[in-house]
Amino acid sequence: MMDLSKFGIKFFAADADGFDILKLIPVYHRWIQQGALQDLLIDVADYSHVPAGPGVMLIAHEGNYALDETGHERGVVYYSKRRLSGGLSDRFCLVASKALRAAQLMSEDAELDGAVNVLGDHLEFFANDRLAVPNTDAAYAELEPALKTFLDKLYAGAPYTLTRETDAKERLSVRVKAASPAPLETLFERVT
Amino acid sequence: MASWREHLAEQMPAELAREIDVYEGQLELKKQGKIEDKLFGEARLRRGAYGQRYDNGQRHDGISHRSLPFPTAATKGTETVWDAPGMQRIKIPFGGLNPQQMELLADVAEEYSDAICHITTRQDVQLHYVHIEDTPDLMRRLAAVGITTREACGNSVRNVTACSIAGVCRCEAFDTTPYAKAMAYHLLGHPDTQDMGRKFKVAFSGCNTSSCGLTNIHDLGFIAKTWQSNGIPRRGFQVTIGGGLGAVPYDAQLFDATVPEEEILPLAQATCRVFARLGEKRNRGRARLKFLIEKLGLEEFRRLVLEERKILPPDPRWTDYLKDVERYHERPAKPSSSLNRANLDPKLEAWRATNVYQQRQAGYVVATITLPLGDITSWQLRQLANVARRYVGDNVRTTVEQNLVLRWVSEADVPELFTELERLDLALGGAGKIEDVVSCPGTDTCKLGIAASRGLAAELHEQFVERQKQGAIDPAVRDLHIKMSGCFNSCGQHHLADIGFYGVSRKVGGATVPHFRVLMGGEWENNGATYGLTIGAVPSKRIPEFIDHVTQSYLSQRHPGERFKDFVGRIGKKALKEMVDAFSSVPSYALDRTLYSDWRDPREFTISDITTGECAGEVVPQIEFDLQAAEQRNFEAQVYLEQNETQKADEAAYQSMLIAAKGLVRTQLWDLGDDPDRIVAEFKTRFYDTQLFQSPEAGQYAGGKFALFLLNRHADSGRAFTPEKARHLVEEAQLFIEAVYAYYQRMSEQQAKARAKVKPGTPVAEAAV
Repeated sequence: MMDLSKFGIKFFAADADGFDILKLIPVYHRWIQQGALQDLLIDVADYSHVPAGPGVMLIAHEGNYALDETGHERGVVYYSKRRLSGGLSDRFCLVASKALRAAQLMSEDAELDGAVNVLGDHLEFFANDRLAVPNTDAAYAELEPALKTFLDKLYAGAPYTLTRETDAKERLSVRVKAASPAPLETLFERVT
Repeated sequence: MASWREHLAEQMPAELAREIDVYEGQLELKKQGKIEDKLFGEARLRRGAYGQRYDNGQRHDGISHRSLPFPTAATKGTETVWDAPGMQRIKIPFGGLNPQQMELLADVAEEYSDAICHITTRQDVQLHYVHIEDTPDLMRRLAAVGITTREACGNSVRNVTACSIAGVCRCEAFDTTPYAKAMAYHLLGHPDTQDMGRKFKVAFSGCNTSSCGLTNIHDLGFIAKTWQSNGIPRRGFQVTIGGGLGAVPYDAQLFDATVPEEEILPLAQATCRVFARLGEKRNRGRARLKFLIEKLGLEEFRRLVLEERKILPPDPRWTDYLKDVERYHERPAKPSSSLNRANLDPKLEAWRATNVYQQRQAGYVVATITLPLGDITSWQLRQLANVARRYVGDNVRTTVEQNLVLRWVSEADVPELFTELERLDLALGGAGKIEDVVSCPGTDTCKLGIAASRGLAAELHEQFVERQKQGAIDPAVRDLHIKMSGCFNSCGQHHLADIGFYGVSRKVGGATVPHFRVLMGGEWENNGATYGLTIGAVPSKRIPEFIDHVTQSYLSQRHPGERFKDFVGRIGKKALKEMVDAFSSVPSYALDRTLYSDWRDPREFTISDITTGECAGEVVPQIEFDLQAAEQRNFEAQVYLEQNETQKADEAAYQSMLIAAKGLVRTQLWDLGDDPDRIVAEFKTRFYDTQLFQSPEAGQYAGGKFALFLLNRHADSGRAFTPEKARHLVEEAQLFIEAVYAYYQRMSEQQAKARAKVKPGTPVAEAAV
C-alpha cells in the first residue's frame, strides 16, 4: 500500500486587490499565543519579498501553513511534514481539515478584514515525497482511489474535475475543481 | 517502497555514501542515548546540520516565555531539542552549480524545508526548518548529484569561496576556479583539518581590485598572480592570512607575495596544522586564526608554518590537479553572438545596465539573477535550471552578494533570456546596487540574532525598488552597498558596506528597544579592503529615515566625483556621529509603541530568545570522533555476524580496534597514516611497551590483556575465519575500544590537572606542548 505522509492541500482564494500579505504576520503571532490551531505552532516565516512565493508562513512541528502565492495564485495551504497514521484517504481528510481550519480563521479574522476569501471549490493536492509518490502515471493510478474517496467525502458526492500536473520534474499534483462552492465550515465538517 | 539509500546506491560516491550511513548510525545511537550531546552536536555540525532559533524548546511569544511542547524531551546537542527544526547548510565550493544540482536543491527544499533555497554570503545554500531525522536522506540525495554537506559548519574548513566571474572576468590574472576546487576537495575531511579549535575560511580572488573574492576577510586568501622566474612565466598566488570579520574585524596580512601554484595545497595544509596545534581551544571568543597570529606575531607564525611545510609527508595530490588546470575550461551551451542594441525594450535596457556583465570572451555575457534577501523558491530554481540548460549549460554560480549568475550567455540571447526570467519573476534589476540589500538570517532563524536584520533588509529592499521604479534614486546613491547582520558576528558582512548595520538592543524606560549599530565607509572593492567605522546606534524602525538623511547629506555635500567612502572620511566621525544622534531618540512607550517591536515582527521586543550559538561548535578532540568511528565499525561487525558473514565480521572488528588505536597514537604522533603495521607498531611502542595502557591508574578497562587483543589479531594475519573466532573478536574489540576510552579519559583528567597548574603568562607554544 502506498505510504504517504508528506503532502499538502491548497485551497485557492478569490483575488483580493491591494491586500497586503504582511497583515498576516501579527495574525499568525496571535495564533501562536492563543494556540489557535491544533498543531504545535513554532514561528512565523516571512517570504513576502519573494514574488509568487510561499508568502508568509506559519511554521508548525507537524506541518507548515501559508497564504501561498505560488504561480500568482493565492490560497491557503497546509502541508504535512511528519509521519501520519491511518489510511490514505483519512490522512487526506486530516490535512484538508487543517488547511480548512486555517482558511476559516483567516476569513473570520477582523485584522484581515475579509480579504482572505477561500471559496472551497478549487484546490490543489500535492505529494511532497518523490520517493513514496513520484510524478508518474503508475503512482497516480495507485493514489487516485484514495484521493477520490477523500474528494467524494469533501464534496459530498457532487461532481468535480481532476487535472494533473504534467511537468514530470514537478511534484505529483492534482488540481480539483468542484462544480459549485461550499461554505468552509461545511467542508470542514465533512472531513472531520 | 525502496529507501533513498537503496534507490541512490549506484549514484552516490561510495565514500560519501558510507559517511552518511555512519552519520545516520550516529543519529540512531543518539536516539538511544548512547552518544553524549557534546559529541553528537559537533558531529552533526560537521555534516552541516545546524541549530536554529527556539531549538532549546523555549520561545517568547510576545507575552511571555513559553515552552514548546515537542513530542520528546530528547536532545541533539547541548540544550538543543531533538524535534526542534534546524538549518541545513550545503557547501557549494566556489559557488559552482549545474542544472541537475539546482533541480535537486529545489526538490529537497520543497520536501524537507519550506520550499525556499537561501543563498548565503559565503556562496552556500541553506535550508531552514529541517527535521534532524530527514537529514540523512537529504544528504544522500545531494551526494547523488555530487554535493556534500560535510564540514559546512563546526570547527572545520568551511566552504571555499571564489569570484563568481572567475574565468570570464576582464581583469583577473587567470581563472582561479580549478585551484579553488582543488583546495576545497583537498582540505575536505583531511586529517590535518579535523582538530581545529574553530572554523577556517578560504577564499580565492582573480585580482586585487574587484570585490568578488573578499580575500581580506578570510583566514587564508589566494589572489591570482603571474610573474617571471628566470625568464619563465610562472603562475601562483599572493597569499594573505588571518583576516576575519566577527565582532572585531581583522585585516588579512600578507603571508607571501608569490606562492607558486604547486605550493598552495601544502601551504594550506601546514597552516591548518599549526592552527590545530597552537590555536586556542578553550576560549571560543579568541579561537580564530587571527587571534593566534596576533598572539604569536606574523613572523613567528610564518616561521612555524614554513617549518611545518618542510616536514609534511609528501602527497601527490598537491600537484596532480595541475595537469587538469591546463585543460580546464567551461563549455558554453551556445556559440558566441552579438546583441543588436537597436530598439531594445526599456525594461530590458534597465535590467541589462545593472545585471549583465560583458565577459572577457567576446560575444558572451554574465547575467545576474537578483534574489531578494538571497531567497529563491523551489519552483523558480527548478525552472531556472531549465533556463540554464538551454542558455548556459553547467555554468551557474552563487555569489557572495546572495545572488545567482548565469555565465556564458550568448549575447544575442539576452532579450530572450530576460523574457524567460520575467516569466519566473526573476528579472529583478539592481544587482549590486543599493536595493540589493545583503542580510544574514538574524532573528528570523539564528540563535544569536539580536535584531531582525531580514525584516529591515526586506523593508529597505522594497522601498528602494519602488523608488527606483519612479526614477527617484540618484545614480551616486544607487551605487552604495547596504549590508546588515542581526548581531555583531558579521555574517551579513556589514563592515564591508558603504552603510552597514548590526543588531543591538537598548533599554528605554525599562523596556527593550531593537536598534542597529551603524557603520559607514566600508569598502566592498579591492577584496573588501577597508572596514567601516562604527558610529552609533539608531532605533531599528528609524533606519529608513536615517538612510535617507545620510544619502541626502552625501548628495548635497560631496565633492564632484567623490565616493561615499571618501566623503565619510572627509567629513569625519564627529559629523557622522551628529547624523546618527539626530535619529537616536526613542519616544516613550506610551507615545509610540511601534519602536518597541522589530521590523515584520509585532511581538514586543525581547533579547531573551538568544541562546548559545553553534557557530563555534563544540571543541571535541579528534580522538573522540575516532573512538566513535571505532564503535560504529564494531557495530557493523556485529551486524555482519548476525548475517553470518564471518570474514567481514572478523575484519570489521579488527578494523575497529585499529581505528581506536590510531586515534590514541595520534594524540602523540599526528602523521601516523593508515598502514596497520605502523599503527600497531606505534601503539605497541608508545602504550603497551611503556606499560601506560596497563597502568592501574589507567582504569579498570585498561589491562594489558586488552591491548593484546589487538596485538594478537594483528599478528594472526593468516587466520582461518570461523564464526566462533569472529564472535570472540567482536567482543574483544569492544573491550579494547572501552580500554582506549578509559585510558583517554584518565589522560585527559591528568592533562586538565596539569593545565590548572600552568601559571598565567606561559608562552602559548610552550603550554600547548
